[in-house]
Amino acid sequence: MIQFINMLLIGIGAGSIYALMAIAMVLVWRSTRVINFAQAGMALLSTYIGFELVQKTGNFWIALPLAMILGALFSALVEILLIRTLIKHSTSGPVAGIVPIIATLGLLGVIRATIGFIWGNQDIQIQPPLSKVGFKVGEETIALSPMNLLVLLTVVGMVIILGFIFQKTNLGLSLRASAYSPEIAQLAGIRVGAIRTIGWAIAGAAGAAAGLLQTVNGTGAISPDSLEFSLLLTFGFIAAVIGGLESLPGAVLGAVVLGLVLAVVQIYISGTLVFIVAFALLLLVLLVRPQGFIGSKAGRRA
Amino acid sequence: MLKKHPLFTFIIFGVILFLLSNRVDELRVFQGATVAIYVIAIASIILLTGYSGQVSLGHGALLAIGGYAAALSRNEWGAPVWLTFCIAVLAAALGGYLLGLAAARLSGPYLAGTTLALAIGLPSIANQFTILGGEQGLLFDIGTPPSFLGEEFTQYKWFFWIASLAALIAIYWLRNVMNSRYGRSWKAVRGNDVAAELAGINVGRNKVLAFTVSAGLAGLAGALLAMTISTVSPGAFPLALSFSLATGAVLSGVTTLGGVMIGAVTLVAIPEIVDTVVHRFESSESVANNLPGLLVSTLLILTVLFVPNGPVEQMRARHEKRAKR
Repeated sequence: MIQFINMLLIGIGAGSIYALMAIAMVLVWRSTRVINFAQAGMALLSTYIGFELVQKTGNFWIALPLAMILGALFSALVEILLIRTLIKHSTSGPVAGIVPIIATLGLLGVIRATIGFIWGNQDIQIQPPLSKVGFKVGEETIALSPMNLLVLLTVVGMVIILGFIFQKTNLGLSLRASAYSPEIAQLAGIRVGAIRTIGWAIAGAAGAAAGLLQTVNGTGAISPDSLEFSLLLTFGFIAAVIGGLESLPGAVLGAVVLGLVLAVVQIYISGTLVFIVAFALLLLVLLVRPQGFIGSKAGRRA
Repeated sequence: MLKKHPLFTFIIFGVILFLLSNRVDELRVFQGATVAIYVIAIASIILLTGYSGQVSLGHGALLAIGGYAAALSRNEWGAPVWLTFCIAVLAAALGGYLLGLAAARLSGPYLAGTTLALAIGLPSIANQFTILGGEQGLLFDIGTPPSFLGEEFTQYKWFFWIASLAALIAIYWLRNVMNSRYGRSWKAVRGNDVAAELAGINVGRNKVLAFTVSAGLAGLAGALLAMTISTVSPGAFPLALSFSLATGAVLSGVTTLGGVMIGAVTLVAIPEIVDTVVHRFESSESVANNLPGLLVSTLLILTVLFVPNGPVEQMRARHEKRAKR
């Protein structure tokens, strides 16, 4: 029983961080039809900046929002400098489909090398702001520490704020309209270019939060070649795709499902199998229900 | 010359390589072998991306299948060297066929992300089964060079010969496939899959076939890579390898095989150049660690921005334009 509860807690905890990453990928996909393979690199950069801010201010809860704002600014800058040029240059032809993929891959390399120049290639440690020892229920220690709980609450808070922005504000309406049909949105007087940049900026903030929270929730160590961040990218992508790649609730749902499935595998079968199970889950969803859990049939697999 | 007598050109090229291998030092010979392996691996991505419009960020996983298949067949059954390479090709092609069945139904970023997940997922299987040797991996020893080549003949030169010969044969064969019925079908599918289908080409089957052939080549490259480092382990096929190969393919130009050397040489040359520069100016360790990555990535971004079809195709297009005037 206790094992089952722990599995649920681990699954939801991991899933909540994948959800932030998945949200970032979905926002970028919706605004520019690009899968940002540099998302992990941008999150890593924000995490390093977060590390500096923790050193300077000594308080994680000041550093987190600041790192998110800087992450958002950087992401907006990437959209303006790289993605716009790319869309302007991009020709129709055999390579048109792969150009954005390769460009974001190149960006990932540039970011990693730059981080290596500035901070060196060794691991650096971020101290978790809260205890990572699990709560006690009776005699048993469960897999939920104050740190886990705060990560969970932060993520839920962010998802609620994002949901509010998207459903209740004018900005959210513009974001949704631009994603649905850029031409019609433009005719209706929405400045699609600016809205795209804002989409990227929100994605940058979500990615920054995912990176920082994942780091303090995990080992606390980061390095430019961090495997953890490659996994964050891959799991975020998988969560986004099985959720439908168009819908924010879908991304959250996909992330929680992925987190739970991986927790089941990790606890009941073997920890080394999680990667291949994640891959199998992705393939299964793509083959059986390519539009994802939430999503309409049309316009998929673009 | 190349157009009229391709086989002759390839033989001449091989002879030049053979003569060169006797003139340069060990390090260069080893780098030459690496270039040859990259040529095969990059050609397999070009085939997939340029000729069938699919992109794979997970070719490292297919290389790993080839490497492990070669090592297993050598260690478990004592297969002769040439046979281990054939087994590597077949095993990777089978893996590619299965992946291709799924891939044919996906496109663009979906396929890229799926192959990325595979590249991250597959190496962890090695830790699951004891026969694959876990983190340490397996030994893959092709033995010393045959004695009739003389006492002077070094192990690296032997690697270089095998790798170069394999690369020459692979590229020559691929070139012929490209000019065959299959190659034309792939080009048609790439250009416009609806039109291709109307012309009677089975788009799905052609995509799977392209994926299978590409994976077979990748398997050969993986076995050769395992040969040069004498082991196969999960660490030998990291995500960085998959990214490097995709990078090499883009630098070479994904629409023609003609530039395949460019990417392969760049991937080997950049770390070497940086090393020289760092020694000359006695720069710090962090420069030596990060400059190659920065250069390659910057080059990659510039390439997709300004010559998305690759340098060779760009030159050809310019040439044609001038000829028309």
